[in-house]
Amino acid sequence: MINAYILVSMQPGNSDKAIEEMRKIDHVEKISVVAGEFDIVIRVKVETLEELLHATNEIQMIHGVQKTTTQVIEKEIAL
Amino acid sequence: MKIRIRKRYLFFILAFSSAIFNSIGSAFDAVSQLFIPDPWALGIACFVLGVIVSGLISLFLSIPYKGKSLGAHSIDPTFKRVRLLKRKELKYHLIAGFGNAVLTIGYFFLLSLMSGDVSIVLPFTQVVILYLVIIESLSEKDTPTLVEVQSSVIVTFGAILGSLTLSGTINLTAIAIVFLVINPGWVLLSFYQRKLKMLKIDDSPNDAINIRVWNVIFACIFTLIIVSVFDIFMGTEHVMAGIRSSIDQYFWVFLLAISTYFAFVFYIRALGIGKASVTQAVKASVIVFSIPVSIILGYYGIIPAFTTDPVMIVIKMMGIMLMLLGILSFALTLTKAYVFIRMKPGYDIETTMKQLWDIKGVNRVTAVAGPYDFIIKIHTRTLIKGYERILRKVESVPGIDEFTWQSVLKEWEDI
Repeated sequence: MINAYILVSMQPGNSDKAIEEMRKIDHVEKISVVAGEFDIVIRVKVETLEELLHATNEIQMIHGVQKTTTQVIEKEIAL
Repeated sequence: MKIRIRKRYLFFILAFSSAIFNSIGSAFDAVSQLFIPDPWALGIACFVLGVIVSGLISLFLSIPYKGKSLGAHSIDPTFKRVRLLKRKELKYHLIAGFGNAVLTIGYFFLLSLMSGDVSIVLPFTQVVILYLVIIESLSEKDTPTLVEVQSSVIVTFGAILGSLTLSGTINLTAIAIVFLVINPGWVLLSFYQRKLKMLKIDDSPNDAINIRVWNVIFACIFTLIIVSVFDIFMGTEHVMAGIRSSIDQYFWVFLLAISTYFAFVFYIRALGIGKASVTQAVKASVIVFSIPVSIILGYYGIIPAFTTDPVMIVIKMMGIMLMLLGILSFALTLTKAYVFIRMKPGYDIETTMKQLWDIKGVNRVTAVAGPYDFIIKIHTRTLIKGYERILRKVESVPGIDEFTWQSVLKEWEDI
């Protein structure tokens, strides 16, 4: 099981539609619209790196997505 | 479409559904009491039939349909089928079951003490919200903020006012039972059900349906033990009376058990999302949903007719308004943020992770590979606290080089 954060920078405009698209992608666990350096933080849960590539690819294909940065989770402590 | 609903909405939908089933249950409670006047026997009958009903519904929900169980389609997406207990669940189930038994026995003792009319003391069971807030403030990770304490107090007193009726007499023993038996029992029940819901079973979150089934079983066992001991010492025969009445008067108790089952399943699922105190506060909305129920019951003469005294109506309205305001402020004040962190070279990752995790308000710490070294998730009620209590602490962790704060504006989650 691999978990990762995909940090997304967006072009202005069209973000509502882009989020709608993102919600349809498989393996996406959480979508947060944020204010700061990035615009959207997506958490994905996949079985293999292949699937991660696939998910990242699908996100990049969405109109309005400017840049993605993938952060693979190595260790996690959570409530 | 994969993610259908925002987490925050889901939480309120679950807690409100639980409250609705609860108010329907209270109607069957009132009716069952007509047929089984002995409160001890009614308690036993509730649990005995409760085990049967919960088992049957859960087995039905285990039926697979289109690759998932019926329960996963309708109630809890993580539910697969009714299963045996895991070892790590046992301890929590024993405590939660004991809590449920104590609170139920306390409730029925109260009923017998006040010969059926508990209307004046029962509203004080809402004070349990404050018990939960206090306990959460003692357990380190969950310090309640001023907003939470405020809203909890508002909801609690709103609920007391809203459910007050002035028919019964007040006596000290009854009040003592509410504060020392019923409320602590409820605290055990809700805290340990929450712990159970947060457990991971076979790598996926624990489901509300199994938790409910096992809770009823344990509560039934504890109740039978406690009432049997009482019977032996007092020379009464409540256990036998209970079993007899669960056979003779099964119909209404059956309906009662069904609504209680759904009230609890939704409640446990909500507990998996929100703090125990906040969930309890939202569930206090049961007093709003129970108004139509009391009007109907009053119409049929099962309980005294709904009050027409203008003073009482004003008091009730005030209570309900206070409570809704409190719930609303819970809903609107939670702020979340991500902090992306870069580390200086020469510091141990595990130690730094531990130091970040020790900061209150940090809900999740992840060590990641990529441009940043850590991503932490923060939950706070106010941004001021986010700076004072969290960011300044993050800054003071020695291994941290730089960090950026990303406030979450809106969030969708698959749960």
